[in-house]
Order: sequence, then C-alpha cells, then structure tokens
Amino acid sequence: MGFMTWATMSSTMASLMTLIAIKALNPKAEVARAQAALAVNISAARGLQDVLKSNLGPKGTMKMLVSGAGDIKLTKDGNVLLHEMQIQHPTASLIAKVATAQDDITGDGTTSNVLIIGELLKQADLYVSEGLHPRIIAEGFEAAKDKALAVLEELKVTKEMDRETLIHVARTSLRTKVHAELADLLTEAVVDAVLAIRKPNEPIDLFMVEIMEMKHKTDSDTQLIQGLVLDHGARHPDMKKRVENAYVLTCNVSLEYEKTEVNSGFFYKSAGEREKLVAAERKFIEERVQKIIALKNAVCADGSKGFVVINQKGVDPYSLDALAKEGIVALRRAKRRNMERLTLACGGIAMNSVDDLTPECLGHAGLVYEHTLGEEKFTFIEKCGNPRSVTLLVKGPNKHTLTQIKDAVRDGLRAVKNAIEDGSVVPGAGAFEVAVHDALINHKPKVKGRAQLGVQAFADALLIIPKVLAQNSGYDAQETLVKLQTEYKESGQLVGVDLGTGEPMVASEAGVWDNYSVKKQLLHSCTVIASNILLVDEIMRAGMSSLKG
Amino acid sequence: MMGSLCREVVTLQLGHYSNFVGTHWWNLQDASLTYDPDTPPGELQNDVLFREGQTLGGQMTYTPRLIAMDLKGSLQTLRQEGCLYETGKDLTALTWEGNVMMHKASPTAKNPFLLDLDKLDKGEQLSGVDFEQIPVPHCSVSVETINSRLERAQKGYQLEGSVRVWSDFLRIHLHPRTISVIHKYNHDGETHLLEAFGQGEALLQGTVLEELEDRLHFFIEECDYLQGFQVMCDLADGFSGLGSKVTEMLQDSYGGRGILTWGLAPVSHPDTTPMKELYHLFNYSLGMVHLAKNSSFFCPLTLKGGLARQPPAPPFFPHLNYDSTLWYHSSSVLALALDALTVPYRLRHNSIPMWEFADTLTVSGRKVVAAYGALPFPMAQGSSLPDALGACAATLPWKPLSTCPELGDGRCFGQSVTLRGLEGQSLVSQQRLGMQPPTTLHSLDCGEDVLSSYINGHYPATPFSVHLVSSPSKLTPPFPQIFSQTLGPQGFLQDQAPPLNTLSPLVSSIPVLTSLQSSPALGPWLSELQRGASTMDPRRVAPSFLSQGPELSDFQESLEQLRLLAGCYRDDCDGTLRSSSEEDDDS
Repeated sequence: MGFMTWATMSSTMASLMTLIAIKALNPKAEVARAQAALAVNISAARGLQDVLKSNLGPKGTMKMLVSGAGDIKLTKDGNVLLHEMQIQHPTASLIAKVATAQDDITGDGTTSNVLIIGELLKQADLYVSEGLHPRIIAEGFEAAKDKALAVLEELKVTKEMDRETLIHVARTSLRTKVHAELADLLTEAVVDAVLAIRKPNEPIDLFMVEIMEMKHKTDSDTQLIQGLVLDHGARHPDMKKRVENAYVLTCNVSLEYEKTEVNSGFFYKSAGEREKLVAAERKFIEERVQKIIALKNAVCADGSKGFVVINQKGVDPYSLDALAKEGIVALRRAKRRNMERLTLACGGIAMNSVDDLTPECLGHAGLVYEHTLGEEKFTFIEKCGNPRSVTLLVKGPNKHTLTQIKDAVRDGLRAVKNAIEDGSVVPGAGAFEVAVHDALINHKPKVKGRAQLGVQAFADALLIIPKVLAQNSGYDAQETLVKLQTEYKESGQLVGVDLGTGEPMVASEAGVWDNYSVKKQLLHSCTVIASNILLVDEIMRAGMSSLKG
Repeated sequence: MMGSLCREVVTLQLGHYSNFVGTHWWNLQDASLTYDPDTPPGELQNDVLFREGQTLGGQMTYTPRLIAMDLKGSLQTLRQEGCLYETGKDLTALTWEGNVMMHKASPTAKNPFLLDLDKLDKGEQLSGVDFEQIPVPHCSVSVETINSRLERAQKGYQLEGSVRVWSDFLRIHLHPRTISVIHKYNHDGETHLLEAFGQGEALLQGTVLEELEDRLHFFIEECDYLQGFQVMCDLADGFSGLGSKVTEMLQDSYGGRGILTWGLAPVSHPDTTPMKELYHLFNYSLGMVHLAKNSSFFCPLTLKGGLARQPPAPPFFPHLNYDSTLWYHSSSVLALALDALTVPYRLRHNSIPMWEFADTLTVSGRKVVAAYGALPFPMAQGSSLPDALGACAATLPWKPLSTCPELGDGRCFGQSVTLRGLEGQSLVSQQRLGMQPPTTLHSLDCGEDVLSSYINGHYPATPFSVHLVSSPSKLTPPFPQIFSQTLGPQGFLQDQAPPLNTLSPLVSSIPVLTSLQSSPALGPWLSELQRGASTMDPRRVAPSFLSQGPELSDFQESLEQLRLLAGCYRDDCDGTLRSSSEEDDDS
C-alpha cells in the first residue's frame, strides 16, 4: 500500500505545496492506522486549502505560474489552478476531482469547495482527537447539510431575471476573475450575449455564443459581435475582402477532388488511366460549382447584393477560381460546430447537397469582411438582423492573457445562464454563510446526541468563506466576522463583507448576487467528500480504485 | 496535371512514444531540407509535410503540419507554444490590479545538445569538439551536414544518458498550434495515469475535442489538395483508445481522405509489472480492432519480438548495435523505417495519393498491414544492387517491424517495396557487353527492374509496387550512432573493419529497404493476439481496466471483431477468399 507509506503532493509550481511525509506504520494497529490515515488526509485537504485560499474573492491574489520551460499561466480560478497542478496524493487528487466536477456542473465554486472541505475536516479533527468517532461527525454533517439546504430555499430570492439583475450576477462573478474595469466591460458583453441567444421556455445553449480569441500586439479589448467571427478567410486573391448586403449560402458539399468509390489500385493502373479517373471526378465537381453560380445569378441579377458561400467541406483552387470569376466569396472547411451557428446568425438552411438549391436556403448578413493578422485570417459576419448566435471577440497581447479572459468570460456566461434557469439568486459576499451558521446553531439542539458536534463543526466550517474574503482584503478575519454576525442578529438583514471598508453591507442592496445552483451543489459535494474522507477505510478502497481507473 | 500537385499531409502524434518516433522523423526531414535556391528540387516534396507561415512580426516560417498530443509533465524543457511566434516575454498581469503572486519553477536543465541549439538560435558559434565534455570515442569525427542550423556543428552527442523525454532531442521549431497537452492525466508519477483503452476513449469530448478540431482546422483549411493524415499512435497505453476516437473523428469529418495509422510500441516500459503488461495486451487488442476500422490502413510498428505478454527477443539487425530498452534508440530505428515506408505518397513526381496507396493494400477488409525493413540494406561499398540482392537470394534481407514473421511461402495479397539511398550507378550491374551476366538481376537495365525481378522471385505472381529514391535519410546529430563497426560513413559494408583502437567513422546515412505487406501471415498473427486477450476475463484479472468503459459486452464484441479480422487473411491457392464465418481451422 503505497498510500500508507507516503503522502506527497507535488506541483508544477515549486514550493507551492508543502511536502508531507509519513513513515510506515504498524499495519496491525488498526485504530492507529485509521487515525493516522485521517491525519494524512486532513493535512492533504488543508494543503490544497492553503494553495487556493488567497484566490477567493475580488481582492484575492492572481497567480502567475511559470513552468521550467517558461510557459506562463495566469489564473485566479481555483478550477484552473487545480488542473495545472500535478497532484500525486490520492486524497488531494480526490478532492481536486470533486471540486473540478463542481465547476463542470455549475461553472463556479471550485475554490469555495476546496476551502469548505478543508475546513470541515479541520473542525472534525478537533472532535476526533478528543475521541469522537468520525462516523458520528459524518452523521452530524448530514443533518447539518439537510438543514442548510432548507435555509437555502428560504433565503434565495426569486425574482424577474431582468437585465439589471443579470448584470449584478455577472459582475459578482467576473470581479473575482479580472480587475473591476475589465470586469464591467465583460459583464455587459456577457449578459447581452446570453440575452441574444435566449429563447423563451428553452434551456440556454451557451454553445451558441462563440468565444473567439485574437492575438493582437497592442489591442486589448473584448466586444460582442452580433453575428459570427470565423478564424479563416477566402483562399483566392481575387475574392473581395469586404461584401455588404450579402446572401450567405451555408453548405456541406465537397468542391474538391477526392477519392471515388471506384477502387483504383495503383498496382494495375497506369498514370494515364489514373488521370482519366481524376478528370471524370472533376466534371462532377464542376457541375456542383455551376449550380451554386446559377443560384447566385438568379438572386443577384441586379448586382446590388453580394454572395458568400461558407462550406464545411473543401473547395479546391479550380473551384475557387470559378467562383471568384463570378464575384462569389467562398470560405472552405468551416468548423462543424459553426454550421448551426451560421444559420442561427444569418438565417437560411445548411445544405448537404446543391441539387435542390432555392433562394429560401440563403441567409443574410449586412456586412462580411476579412481581417488579416500575420498568418491568421478572420472573417466577420455582422449586421445579421436578429441573430440567435453571437460571438464574443477577445483581443489581447499574449496567450496567457487571452486564456485568462476567456476563462473568465466562460464563467460569467455560466453565471448568467444559471441565474436565468434557477429563476432565483442568493445574496453573496459571505451573507449566505453567516445566515446558515446562525440557523444551524439554532437548529443544533434538535439533533440527537453527539451528532450535534458534527452540526457545530459544519456551521463553523462555512464561516471560512466570509473570513477568507475579509482576510484577502487585509481585514482581521475574526473582527469582521463578529461585526457581520452582530449586524445580522440586530438587523435581520442578509449582510456580507464590504471589501472596500471591511464593514457589513446588505448584499442585495450592493448588488452582490451568487448563483443558487452553485450554492446548492456546494453544500452537497462538500458534505459527501468530507464525510468520505472521515471514514478513511472506505475511502481507501473506493478512492484508490476510482483513481487507478 | 494532377500528377505533380503537392498533396498535403497532416501528421498526428498521439502519445509519448509516438512523439519519440515523431521527433526522430522530423529531425530526419529537417536534415534533408535545403534553403538554397540553386539546389535542384529533391525527389521528395517537402511541402507535403511542412507548411510556410508568417509570424505577427512578418517573419517567414517553415514548420511541420503537425499535431502532437502528450500528457501533463511530458514537455520538460519545451515550451508548449514554442518560441518562433513569441511576441516578447510579458510577465505582467494585465487583467488584475490586485496582488499577483508569481510561482516560477526553476528552469529545467538542458543537455549539451539543447544548449548548443540555443546557441545556434542566438546566432552564436559552437565551440569545437570538446573532448573533455564528451569523452566518448567515435563521436568526434567531423561530419558534413547540410542542415542549415547544425551545419558544421562537428559534434557527436552522446544523449543516451540524458534523454528523458522527446523534446530532449527535438531539433526543429514547432508551430504554436502543434503541441496539445492533456491535463487530465500525468506523464509520470503514481496517480492519474492514462493506462487503459477506455480512459483514452473517454477523453475525446468537451474542450479536448474542441481544441483538436481547432488545431486540425488551422492546418487543414489552408491545404489546397489535402491527401490525408498520417497518425502515429501509442498502442500500449490509453492513447490506443484516444487514437481510436481521433481516427473515428477524422473519418467522419474528412471521409474522402486517407488515414494511415501507425500503431507504435516501445520494446519495454520502465517500471513495468505483470498487471501493466496485461493492460498493454488489452490495449493492443482493442486498439488493433478500432484503429484498423477507422483508418484507411493500420500498421503496427515496433521492435518488440511480439505483442504477447512474454514476447520473444526483438528482431536481430546484423549491422545495428542498439539498446532495445532505450526509447531514444528504438524510436530512431522506427523513424528511419517510416522515412522509407511513406515514400510513395511524398514523391515530387508521380506520387500515389494516400487513399489509393491504402486501398490497394487493404482489399477485402484486410485493414491491418505489416511492415518489414532492412536497416541498413546490406550492401558492400562499391558494389551494385544486383550483387547485393544476389547475396540474399535465398533469404529476404528484411526483418519484421510489426512483430509479424513472414510465412516464407511466397504468398502475399499486395505489397509496397521502397529502397532509399542508392544512386543511379550502383543500381545496375556494371559488367558490360560480352560478359555472361551471373544472374538475371545483372542483366536488367534499371533499378526498378532489378528490385522488381528480385521481389517477383520471392513472391511469384503477387501484386506489388516498387519505389526507388536515391537520396538517403540523413543521419545528422542528434540521431544516435547505433551502427556496428562494419558500416562506413555512407552506411555501406566495409571490406574490413577498422583496426582496433581506432575511431570508427560517424555514419551519416544508410541505405534502407522496406516492405509494407498485406499477407496471409497476418491471419494467424491476429488470431494469436485475439486468443491471448480472450483467454483473460478483465473483470477477474484486471477489474479496473473497464472502469471507464468499454462495457464488458463491447470489450468482448471487439475481440470478436478481431477474430473476424483475422479471418479476412485466409486464402485459397487461387487467391480467392473464403468467408470469414467458416470455422477457424488454422489455429
């Protein structure tokens, strides 16, 4: 059992995590073994906690990771950080797995997850070291979680998800990822993007928001394009770089030579025979090109409108030539995922054949133009009337900046989507945790026996959130917490930390809103994982096999 | 017209060993590049594999059309984005106004070869041969390389001890879109390893899939006449499953193109255990079925003696002197073989498109083909091809590179034979008029005829094609010196070995003969693999192998498909196929 003899966490970031080495223990000492394993697991959980702690909140610390080779990663996101680390300790990696799964489901909450799990174990450890069996604590955790979920239902604010509310939700999320000015810029773009693609009574498909990055030496900006940006351009020198008022044909039709169904073995065929086969195939392709040209001539008879073909399959130089001669702009090898977006942005139907082309198949764009940056080309398809697919264009000077903004934008989109789908939001800035703590303390006497201690541990653990928020802003954690709790008791209003002053503030008035679904998921996953780690023997079996996969 | 088009190929390298082979392969390609406009164009069209590009600063670049996937922690000294397109080191956090904490790992140590590359990149001169630094014999003789960057770097590098990962001997710059790191699994360590087929299969979704699609799009969209993909895929670990999904996706999206897949496996893995060997066997079997199904053809490529759990010793190459356990060595031999095997679709003139190349070799569902190679092709200095082939009249000079021994009965469904590295004069007999030619081979007028006649002698009345390319693969540093003392600088057999205690010359090229075959030998070979895997119940012997899929029933179905695949290779004397559903009686 390598698990018992070592416990190390290594990371790509030197000295980010402490090394914990535990010598082999007497395998016969069953109790000692379980306790020692718990100690190891708790220190692993707290190791992770130490790494992520400084991330939390709008005043947290940004981390720049520079690898031995010089690769740079910039992040404030717990999820990203956990993915970057090479975590070798099984328990730490289990926690990381759960925490990142949280992100996969709800798009946020990784750091909170790790902080709360670490704190649950720390609180539990106090009681275990005094002889309380971990199973009883786990029971208390379970009771506390149920109560906390009930409190969540009471505290959530169900309201009309108008643009203003969504702006507040997105801003709360984004201000923890990027600086205020940038966050506010992204906030508007993110909310308007979701509103553009939102359809009544249907789940929001964030897939319809394309995030396109553009590396630009001097420009750093993010904008919402009401349409699509494709990262390729026309491949013919005579095709126009700018077309106004254009018909858009979206299709998936091969306009290049490819192998025929006829089996053409090179053992038997001469070069001449092969050429004949090729010529026959070319004829088919030319006919397809002619059909597209015929449609263009039919709809553009008066010459006032342009014609753009966007094809998922290839278009070879001969076909490009023929199309260019007719004034048609053609883009080839469009990404599969952009085909649906194209018709949602421009209208029209994506065609799999050119046999039954009609004007009704065509979409429309007010402006199509090409932009070149080094070896990369971009095609903007804009002014699309009422687009149901839009693009967030992120510009930045280098890869690590672009990646970080893209990560932030994704989280912001998820926050807006969650808010709309939840139909409710939860006061943030630690207000929720303070209220739940209070409710749990009141609830404690109703829980039977020593499991009460588990409820107490759970309640105390949640306070890590307001405490770390205060701490990261340079305030005294305990002093701030006392102020919050006092204010909450006196006013009955949900108060969080004002990170500008360290004083209590009414979270709803300040417009600090968190996602209901994130909080809910958080309560579930923290409890499950902390309980499992407490029950060490089980985790060893379940954990190891799921890790070995 | 179409005959001399440049038909582009996109290369994919999936897994660490594939990247070892790929690194040697690209080093070999790079060694043959000439930037001198006065040099006549070579027989091979480099633009098939490379692309011209331009940095934001307007500088021209020439980089492989390549996507290389590997796991977290495998890059070591190599930056994921490379440095060609670097926009300047910017260590500011533009997006944050609060605290920024920098975690800087100490730079990974570089071996002498990489340090020299850095110097060359900065335009510095290399110091002369440093005997003190590299005190090993036969590495210090000057060798003329035409590689522009290592030109006149008259140095041999003994990298055997210092190569940990493939980037330790990577000579060329890669495009920033080339390297893709899978963060879900670790390259080494004890947890989060990509060990099972199912883990790999499950990877290709979400952002991993999207990122791969974006990279493919970048390299493919600019191609005017894409002919297809050459996929090098690790067969022993979970990359076998990832490769299956990647080739499936390629087939879906680029159906009309060729997908030529090489399943690579090192001779041995460090720290192996019986359980790991079992995983390898399952991965070989599942990978064989799925990679074959999704590719135009699938060819295992390894120096192992077999794919069973206790395989025989690796094949013996009489003129090679390599350490089969070193990935750095074994991968160099495979790269050299690949450089010949892939010739037909890389020719400047009259090349055969990938799809046609594959279709011809894979008639009737026989998607798995086997490679053989004579490395080097044994030929005495100053002798001729007829002489050399005459010397191996009884036994073919090549050894299995897919672990599939030939049956030696002259049966073959089809094969492609390539000979690289013999110039015009040496291709035919120099004996002239009036003399009775000693063999038929000596009477023929061109190399193609000589080689064809020889092949025809060994495989009477079977279809085959031969390709001869006079330019050899150029073995410039850091290609390892793995050759026996019997070889001269051009890889020909010396009359006499150099006297003891003298430095043997650095071998800078060798002639290579390869064959890619679809033959009845693959039938029993596939059957054996299938039997080896199906006698084991994964639920009992390796319970976690299936923990991330496939379902047991799918696992068994795959093995059944493997059995049917083996059946495709049975033939009657007249060459027609029997139905694969007939009883398997040759087992």
